[in-house]
Amino acid sequence: MTRNRMTRALVPLVVAACLAGLSLPEVAGLVVRVLGLQAGMPVPAGRLAWLARQHLALALAGFFLAGGAGLALGILATRAAGASLRATLDTLAAAAQAAPPVVIVALALPVLGFGAPPILLALAAYGLMPVMRGTVGALATVPEEVRRAAIGMGLTPTQILVRVELPLAAGPILDALRVVLVLAVATAAIGALAGAQTLGTPIVVGLQTQNTLALIQGAAAAAALAFLTDAAWLAAAAGVSRLVRRSS
Amino acid sequence: MIVDIPNRSTAWLPAAMAVLAAAALTGLPFLTLAPNRLVPGVPVGTGLAGAVAGALAVGSAVLLAGTARPWRGLAALAAALIAWGLLLAGLGHGAAGLLAGQKPAARAALGSGGWLALLALAGLAGEAARAVLPRRGGLAAALLLLGLSIIIAGAGLLESLSLAVEYRARAGAVAGAIVQHLGLASASLLIALVVSVPLALLRLRDGPAARLVDGLVSGIQVVPALALFAALVAGLSGLLALVPALRSLGLSAIGPVPAVIGTAAYLCLPLVSGLAAGLAAADPDVLAAARAIGLTPREVLLRVRLPLGAPVLIGSVRVAAVQSVGLATLGGLVGAGGLGALVFEGMAQFAQDLILLGALPVIGLALVADAGLALLAGTGERPA
Repeated sequence: MTRNRMTRALVPLVVAACLAGLSLPEVAGLVVRVLGLQAGMPVPAGRLAWLARQHLALALAGFFLAGGAGLALGILATRAAGASLRATLDTLAAAAQAAPPVVIVALALPVLGFGAPPILLALAAYGLMPVMRGTVGALATVPEEVRRAAIGMGLTPTQILVRVELPLAAGPILDALRVVLVLAVATAAIGALAGAQTLGTPIVVGLQTQNTLALIQGAAAAAALAFLTDAAWLAAAAGVSRLVRRSS
Repeated sequence: MIVDIPNRSTAWLPAAMAVLAAAALTGLPFLTLAPNRLVPGVPVGTGLAGAVAGALAVGSAVLLAGTARPWRGLAALAAALIAWGLLLAGLGHGAAGLLAGQKPAARAALGSGGWLALLALAGLAGEAARAVLPRRGGLAAALLLLGLSIIIAGAGLLESLSLAVEYRARAGAVAGAIVQHLGLASASLLIALVVSVPLALLRLRDGPAARLVDGLVSGIQVVPALALFAALVAGLSGLLALVPALRSLGLSAIGPVPAVIGTAAYLCLPLVSGLAAGLAAADPDVLAAARAIGLTPREVLLRVRLPLGAPVLIGSVRVAAVQSVGLATLGGLVGAGGLGALVFEGMAQFAQDLILLGALPVIGLALVADAGLALLAGTGERPA
């Protein structure tokens, strides 16, 4: 089962490697020539690598902000108000869907200015709800008998949370966090519109200047980074659930 | 997303909304005054109308906090609606006062406090309406607020607000963009439905094909939307360079084609998984009984699986419709027009009002699509 989970990470890893190869100036240039398109100035590999690092840093910052806050608020909500909060969270999460990340970035731009802040706000606003809702929903699936048994064994509330509830609810929580990670990488790409230097930058510039070469390089590199983070997440999640199973 | 809301779980919400409204009106800028449409404005404090609106909001929350008597809910709803109207009229009147004696290019825009207070009052009205009408309260409140705003705007009270000035300059473009946006979103939804129905049927039979479909539709979700749209532009221009005859069929690398294909690709995951879940929703015993009375597989699908799975099916279409409205915004980047084109033009000019002119209808259309399909499904509540 665990090996099966590990191999799930293999497919996105292979896709990421292929796309990263396509994003190299030489390979993308060859593709553009074969397709018979006008090639503009290529993006050098070094610049692409720098943009990828910037992109990853921004996406991870947003992910930890939204994921961490969502997880913490979700746990707090189940402590204080019980599962009755779920319906409100479901409604708010559905309402948040109405404003896509690009609209939130656009709305935040005049208030927060160019660069990272509007993107981080969009990520926090858009990623918080799914994580919070996923956490509250997952913790609600822990059977009441198990919780009572843990109380009967003399565990403190913190011990019950860390050693009983979170391991039992780990699967859905990890799934919700994965959604936010994917969202963070995608939103960081859109951040190029708000002036952040990410892998979205060659795409936006390529679209504006009709530079198909930069367009292909940026698109391939951004998609490669997305698949790479997804593969890393799947591998890490497989590791975490193996640890949980071994310790229980 | 079909959500049924129990009444008691949100008892703290009206109080939170009222506090938010009062805090926004006292602590944050009510209006801002700028010399032209591109420069950020100087904040201006709350006037008398704002203070009265804040007091009414608190009153409405107090009425809602008491015992659940019908007259209390109605009174709370009336207080919230009057507060909304007063605030809107106060904002318009304040803007007119600020602009008196200024140069024609000067703009008076809603400040962060004004925006937050309007949002909080709308939420409060929604909660009050839900106390009166548990099932369709949110929708009723939205219609009442909209009607009230139209009356106030019709009386010419809002004409000095920066957003209204911007709208007057661009009314034709905004109307055209809304039509284009609806066209992009509905074309994407239609194409996604046509593709997803056979894929969902394929997924009902477990096997390698089902796993391949799963992998593909969830793999697309990982690709950043900007990258997919760009790849489609590049791929389409390559295709057109190889087969120039396609150009005469109206295919082009820039424009609605990549936007519709890209948006449809993202809608496949909610649609395929929702349709498959809906078709699998029928009880195995019911299916066995249907087969036992001699129904053919086709009849089982049309007469048993489809009606029994209808709520889940409509729910997944509802999610996809809301997403299609949001994703179509990116069409503005690849030359497809729509409201995204206004948003991106505003971002390029750093013009807040132009961004709002594009963004507010996107949010409005998404909420309308959500509420409309919720009404069609006959279940669930519109999120307020």
